[in-house]
Amino acid sequence: MGRFLRGIAALAIVGAAFGWYLTAPALRSTATAETLKGDAAHGETIFWASGCASCHAAPGTKGEAMKTLSGGQKFATAFGTFYAPNISPSKVGIGGWSTADFIHAVQDGVRPDGSHEYPAMPYVAYAKMEPQDVVDLKAYIDTLPASDVASLPHEVGFPFNIRRALGGWKLLFGNPSYVLAGSLTPEVERGRYIAEALAHCGECHTPRNGLGGLDKGRWLGGGVIDGTAKVPNITKGKLDWSDADIAAYLTTGATPDFDFVGGAMAHVVENMGHLPESDVKAVVAYLKAVPAVN
Amino acid sequence: MKHMKLLWAAAALALTSVGVLAQDDPFADVVETRHGLMMQMASDLGKMGAMVKGTTAYDATVAGKAAANVAAVASVISMDNFPAGSENGKAADSFAKAEIWSNNADFLGKLADLNTAAGALKDSAGKDADTMKTAFMAVGKACSACHEAYRQPQAQ
Repeated sequence: MGRFLRGIAALAIVGAAFGWYLTAPALRSTATAETLKGDAAHGETIFWASGCASCHAAPGTKGEAMKTLSGGQKFATAFGTFYAPNISPSKVGIGGWSTADFIHAVQDGVRPDGSHEYPAMPYVAYAKMEPQDVVDLKAYIDTLPASDVASLPHEVGFPFNIRRALGGWKLLFGNPSYVLAGSLTPEVERGRYIAEALAHCGECHTPRNGLGGLDKGRWLGGGVIDGTAKVPNITKGKLDWSDADIAAYLTTGATPDFDFVGGAMAHVVENMGHLPESDVKAVVAYLKAVPAVN
Repeated sequence: MKHMKLLWAAAALALTSVGVLAQDDPFADVVETRHGLMMQMASDLGKMGAMVKGTTAYDATVAGKAAANVAAVASVISMDNFPAGSENGKAADSFAKAEIWSNNADFLGKLADLNTAAGALKDSAGKDADTMKTAFMAVGKACSACHEAYRQPQAQ
């Protein structure tokens, strides 16, 4: 009996050690990226395409004020309430971060102190960003106004408050591969980069499982945000708009019936307004190429 | 005679069921009216929108009338259309967020913005296509500003 218990204990220790090893934050190499020079002007396009301000600007801000990334917007989920942190170039934001710090935070979901970020930050999407684009993005954010507004702590209960466990979440759901695979036209490929890597459409438009992982088998097949708000299926299984209709919606916010966009999607329409027409068309081409979800 | 009786019976039945429905959902009419106001604006905006998109040719008379309609409908909307308790989750088919009441001054500010933009569209829609387009886009922004903050997203 004693031997049995000792065996169990030994197994538990080995298991815990293995678990600890598995949940350790994994960081990509930034050696190449650190040799790149950031282009702030191009970084601005990446900034809007990636929707940074949509979450990190102060609640309710519009226009120029959205460039002050003081954080504070609230995101209610099944796991708790998350508050977007201050990511402005100040002491309480990302002021003084190295290129490596920035890349790990944006693409690996790991903070400079080595802890995991919650996947409210769409780092699984951003993991696919080109190193040059990330470096340009940092160069642009470094030019924005600094804010001293302190980040609010997330309101997350046990067991979700154990950040280390997010390593397990990343193992299960953190595969950054593109969902739309196969041989694609250059236009669809460009649209895929914008939709899957930058604009992270899937974060709201794809359903999630009980652990908050995206159900990639029903990619863009409709999700739920803020606990109850339904986000539409935007695959051709449901969305029967013409290419011109979708492009008009993304740039003007008007549906073919001349209802006007609301909710979080209003931010997306504002963001898309900063992109060249060819990029908007590429997103439309991508949407038409995504498998239908019924 | 027999027919008359039947008619009366049908009328009585209809009245009773209306009464029952109204009792079940006190906000049914209010919500339907709100949606009707929005649909009327969408219908008129659609006429101008088709011209903006270039799917129909610009017609000053049609555009002018449509813009006047939008301005008229926008001017009708008031808190009378939003009685307390008629929000999403409480009243059937309502997508009105509770913030309309908790953040009322801002909501009314956005409604005033819509009226300003709709007034400008009314003044410009009959002039020429480009003038209409600029004013039209401003109305769209006013619609979205309110929908962003005060309408519960709905799956289409």
